[in-house]
Amino acid sequence: MSTTAPDLSENKPWTKRAVRYDEPAVIPRPKRTAGVQTYIPAWAKGTGITMKAFFVNFKERLLGQKRDPVLENYDGGLTTLEYPEEKRPYPERFRGLHRLTIRDDGSMRCVACLCCSTACPAQCIHIVPGEYPEGDARRGYEKYPTEFVIDELRCIFCGFCVEACPCDAIRMDTGMHPVPYDSREQFIYRRDLMMSFTDRDGERHSDNTRHEPGDPTHPGVTRKHDKH
Amino acid sequence: MADGKITIDGREIPFDKGETIIKAAYKAGIDIPHYCWHPGLSAPANCRMCLVDVEPPPGRGKMMLDILEYDKELGDYVPAKKPKLQPACQMQCADGMVVHSDESEDVKRARAAVQELLLLNHPVDCPICDQAGECDLQDYWLEHQRTSKRMHQEPVHKPKGVVFGETIVYDGERCIMCTRCIRVSAEVAKDPVLDMRQRGNRNEIMVSQGRELDHDYSLMTEHVCPVGALTSNHFRFKARVWFLRTGRSVCQGCATGCNAYLDYDPRDNKPYRYRPRDNEEVNGYWMCDAGMLSYPEAYEGRLLHAHVGGDDATVPEAIDAAKRQLEGHAAGKTTVVLSAGHSLEDNFALAFVAKRFMGIDEVYVARRPDGDEDDILIHKDKNPNTAGVAKVCELLELGEPKSFEQLVAAIGDGAVDHAISLGSAIDCDEAEAKAALKGLKGYVAICTHEGVMSDAAQIALPACSWAEVRGTFINAKGIAQKTDAVLEKYGESFPGWQLAAALGRALGYKIDWRGRADLEQAMLEAGAPATPEASEEDTEAPAEGAES
Repeated sequence: MSTTAPDLSENKPWTKRAVRYDEPAVIPRPKRTAGVQTYIPAWAKGTGITMKAFFVNFKERLLGQKRDPVLENYDGGLTTLEYPEEKRPYPERFRGLHRLTIRDDGSMRCVACLCCSTACPAQCIHIVPGEYPEGDARRGYEKYPTEFVIDELRCIFCGFCVEACPCDAIRMDTGMHPVPYDSREQFIYRRDLMMSFTDRDGERHSDNTRHEPGDPTHPGVTRKHDKH
Repeated sequence: MADGKITIDGREIPFDKGETIIKAAYKAGIDIPHYCWHPGLSAPANCRMCLVDVEPPPGRGKMMLDILEYDKELGDYVPAKKPKLQPACQMQCADGMVVHSDESEDVKRARAAVQELLLLNHPVDCPICDQAGECDLQDYWLEHQRTSKRMHQEPVHKPKGVVFGETIVYDGERCIMCTRCIRVSAEVAKDPVLDMRQRGNRNEIMVSQGRELDHDYSLMTEHVCPVGALTSNHFRFKARVWFLRTGRSVCQGCATGCNAYLDYDPRDNKPYRYRPRDNEEVNGYWMCDAGMLSYPEAYEGRLLHAHVGGDDATVPEAIDAAKRQLEGHAAGKTTVVLSAGHSLEDNFALAFVAKRFMGIDEVYVARRPDGDEDDILIHKDKNPNTAGVAKVCELLELGEPKSFEQLVAAIGDGAVDHAISLGSAIDCDEAEAKAALKGLKGYVAICTHEGVMSDAAQIALPACSWAEVRGTFINAKGIAQKTDAVLEKYGESFPGWQLAAALGRALGYKIDWRGRADLEQAMLEAGAPATPEASEEDTEAPAEGAES
């Protein structure tokens, strides 16, 4: 079958030059030697490879010598990864499930500014802002989310919420991907659950450098709050 | 009549005698950036944002200042000259005056410098500031500055979260000391309870010793605040302004009928606040606290479903039941109650059915009781449409509407045994009225809110509130004002006039209003005043229950 298109470029200079396809190369038929034609030797050869792999794997499994498929598989060809017992490590910037970072005193960093839910293209973040209770140093100064809900089914893991957050209060560095659950309700992640998550190394580090009231670094206000 | 013309950036605009440049520009739709100036207040000229370059009168030299300017090539400061700029909010217009605003490089540099100084000690906490999105500092930074902060020292810290009163919280760090709030208190509310203390970057707003910010216009201080220094307790932390949409409305709090914007979140179809809408004839630029806080009436205590004998029903079912109850009782002891809380349209439709078809010659009116008044905006009549009811009665020759007390007495005397009512609030003793209304043989109530009338009614029909349907309200001065349909309809409610028309149709009367236009035509034919639309949107469809 010839797929060569007629070259019209010479008589029709305004047309685009047609793409030319060469005749596909024909793969030569293997030589029909006696060994190939009788099947038996080829079968024995293939079975040998299979059995060799079987015994090697069996021995490695028995003696605990199996190579780590994650770290040592690169030179040995394909190695079966026995998911979910074994997992490949995600790249460093993998965007996993969200976590809410917390301050040193255990309260949440989020100030309920709604920048994340504004930036969210999937509209999966629902926040109800509230005021700190009477007597709290942050009362009247900033707000906090009384409710912080992310619908992980709706989330498209774009990371815009992390980019939008001015307080480094939301991160996607947990290294966890969404788990299949039985019901939709289980995908609705709430505030306390997301506050309990750590990053992939089990730490709660956050890069926020704001000086907040209550922090020893905060310069303080010039007068008492409630006197005028 | 204009007293002359000035030229701003090559454009000639008229002015009245005594007007300042910024006011003349404001009226002509030219924006000169400003913080401290407000069209409804005096001008202290303290923010310096509205500086403009004014050409000297003919024959006089321009006043120039000697300055030092940095020359990049020389790497040193060299003497230079720049014109003395004038604050547009203080400079009065004179005929033939030539003003350079946006076209002058000196003005642009002055604005950028003022903007930078105002932001020097600003905390830039926009994410947690309720003003973000409608903040003049944000807008003018984008428009006139666009440079990052050059000062790296710790900014001055001031009191935050200071409670000024029940309605207002003050944040000293965000404040730019424009003194608008001070002037609103002194000039609009006539209660100079706010002042400022200290100087320079330690300047802050304070409440008078032993006082709270508790006058009737305290929310206006928040409204005029160009930044997020004053926040109101009812709106604070509730919503972000960029999620809100707005519609033109009229305050339902009293007979003044202040023009307002009703800001709502289309996602939950709920209003979040009122903002005054400028109207020199009615409310100027202001609204009272009671009016500003009356927006929850749009969703609180609403009658959302029809009731028949205390049980839930659909609107067509309820209209069917009303038909069975009222049929054959049109003449004689049947009466109609209009409402000073409903629009002209609702009242007209019901009164029209009563007068033209049922042959009723005298009507009653349901209204909220009178309350406090002042000589600024607050009217003692707490109903938005008292004049509208009077107008409807005049147009349809129904005579003076009688009070609800007279209705209660008439029911007691046995002079009335069937009634159709509009409205939800009454101005007499509730228990007594409820007992009397329960004694009626047939009672159909068209209500927006739950209350005495919906409780006592054998058949209650849910009507749309002022926020959900377009309507006309006539205020105490006789000015007819239209509201937009701002919210989606709540529950199963229908516009009151559609319910009145459906009721009339169910009773076998020939009412051929297919839509709002037909109703308006009928009103015009009866001689109602033609009012300009608040907006051009028409989202009305005839009620399902109205097709019978």
